[in-house]
Amino acid sequence: MKTIISSTLALALTGSVAFAQDALPQQDNDWFTAAQAQLEAKAAVQPNTNKAKNVIILIADGNGVGTNYATRLFDGQQNGNYGDEHVLHHETFPHLALAKTYNVNAQTPDSAGTGTAMHSGVKTKAGVIGVDETLNRGDCSQVEGATVANAAEIYTAMGKAVGVISTARLTHATPASAYAHSADRNFEDNSKLPEGCQVPDIATQMIEAVKAGRVDVALGGGRRHFIPTDVTDEEGKGGKRTDGKNLIEEAKAAGVQYVFDDASFEAAKLDGTPLVGLFESSHMKYEADRTGEPSLAEMTEAAIKALQNNEQGFFLTVEAGRVDHANHDGNLARVVRDGVAFAEAVAKADELTNDEDTLIIVTADHEHAIAFQGYAGRGSDILGLSMKINPAGIEALDEPNTAADNKPYTTVGYLNGSGSILTEDQDWTGTRPALTQEEATDLDYVQQALIPMSSETHSGEDVAIYAKGPFAHLLNGTVEQNFVFHVMHHAATAE
Amino acid sequence: MDRRQLLFSGLGLGLTTGFSLTSTAKAADGPLKLRELYNKDRSFSELAKSLAGHRIAVDGFMAPPLKAEISFFVLTKKPMAVCPFCETEAEWPEDILAIYTKRTVEVISFNRKIETSGILELGTLKDPDTGFVSRVRLVDAVYGLA
Repeated sequence: MKTIISSTLALALTGSVAFAQDALPQQDNDWFTAAQAQLEAKAAVQPNTNKAKNVIILIADGNGVGTNYATRLFDGQQNGNYGDEHVLHHETFPHLALAKTYNVNAQTPDSAGTGTAMHSGVKTKAGVIGVDETLNRGDCSQVEGATVANAAEIYTAMGKAVGVISTARLTHATPASAYAHSADRNFEDNSKLPEGCQVPDIATQMIEAVKAGRVDVALGGGRRHFIPTDVTDEEGKGGKRTDGKNLIEEAKAAGVQYVFDDASFEAAKLDGTPLVGLFESSHMKYEADRTGEPSLAEMTEAAIKALQNNEQGFFLTVEAGRVDHANHDGNLARVVRDGVAFAEAVAKADELTNDEDTLIIVTADHEHAIAFQGYAGRGSDILGLSMKINPAGIEALDEPNTAADNKPYTTVGYLNGSGSILTEDQDWTGTRPALTQEEATDLDYVQQALIPMSSETHSGEDVAIYAKGPFAHLLNGTVEQNFVFHVMHHAATAE
Repeated sequence: MDRRQLLFSGLGLGLTTGFSLTSTAKAADGPLKLRELYNKDRSFSELAKSLAGHRIAVDGFMAPPLKAEISFFVLTKKPMAVCPFCETEAEWPEDILAIYTKRTVEVISFNRKIETSGILELGTLKDPDTGFVSRVRLVDAVYGLA
């Protein structure tokens, strides 16, 4: 019988032959027909071997498969469905791989090492930027010998325009890895450089790259690292530089457009004139708290429009930097809102470009110690309590699952972090606080965690790579994270 | 009964009987949230302005005190996480509430939810003792586990 069904199915799958009289009883089931339609669509996918005029990589920092899953459910539930069935824009892409994210010396990676992997093509140590593993973190004297070419240098040499966007500080690890070389990710301005260090700080390197034409658009946060301590910015906040240099003024004097809020951003010329936007003293605001500054999608749109002036195409790297920060806080409510803003930026990048000549890669640099527990029924608020499965229906019962302590629990928790139920004033013992749905779904709620840490940690598990456009089909299977760089480079240089 | 228990029980009493809802501003079903005192651009909310000079109850978390034997702590809306991958040095969040307590602070761990009640003061003030600059404060405050 099994053989008969299989052969019947095989016939059906070839397309034109309908299920025969012994057709499968489930053939009209919605799940079945949807999967058949998907099969047909997948079978039609052909490799795109065009040369990529444009390459866009969008990295949601700390957005591993688990975190992305939380964002998917949140976005879907915000749109009125159960969440599980929702599809984020990058999840529509035809090609997918998993990346192994470890750094050369770290099972659990950090963003400097992972950013360097994706922007330079080599894995390196944790905490270092644009240098290989021969450098010992913090040793400036080794930078020259350990320097690897970064994306800004490589794509500029191809004649392409280059854009760097982040909702974190532009001097932060991931964006910095696109244009800088530094023995330590923390050398964001000169005040952090060790005595005698001959390598410029990261902010200086960014402005030098803009002035030299290696970076054409840079939009993000981090104003304080570009101005001296005795200068206050547009929001009244002081700078961090102790060398008296005002890099913003230097850039303006060199003909660079400078914008600092949503109004000046909207007025910016997108005609190819170099553009630097520094919208916050430190990181840009979380999407949930955003006011007076552009969204990630708006920055992505502006950058693409500006970079498209270059006839030889462009390279653009976009980071949703604060998915990571909210995860570090154990505050899922902000994680997923920044995750949705990221997906909107992906959609905008896709909308403004053509698959025929633009490779788009969507990925993360690493995952977090986020965890998902059962057994929640469909439609349980992903930010809230795990609700009981309804055995007689689809939507979860309005009754929370309870643990052995007779208290409800959230579907999402963290293995460690400031949400730990163990507290110092109880000699590192503790019991789980009672929890209501209202508390759990509050914007400021910090998910319960086990191991007490001031900041929740990254994890070393794989992250997904979603891809479309020229040579996107090379991204499949499980790959080393630095392979991402090689696919981008191959697509951009293919003949 | 130690001081902490005294403070806790005192607060508990206050929240149930000592402070009536007419004299202690709380949301209909609990204390105010710290974010309700601010607008997104960090200006004071209309609610904050209307409550200035009144005793209010706010929930949050006690940031580790700046020094021992002090009648002051900082209330944060989330546990005061110090993230080495986010910042190169410890920084205060922008939306905090300075709490000047009636009694010397008995430390509660940074990750235990507390509720504090005090008289709301708005306006920048530099603490002559700690040098801490606050924009909004509760004074004459009592506190305890939420």
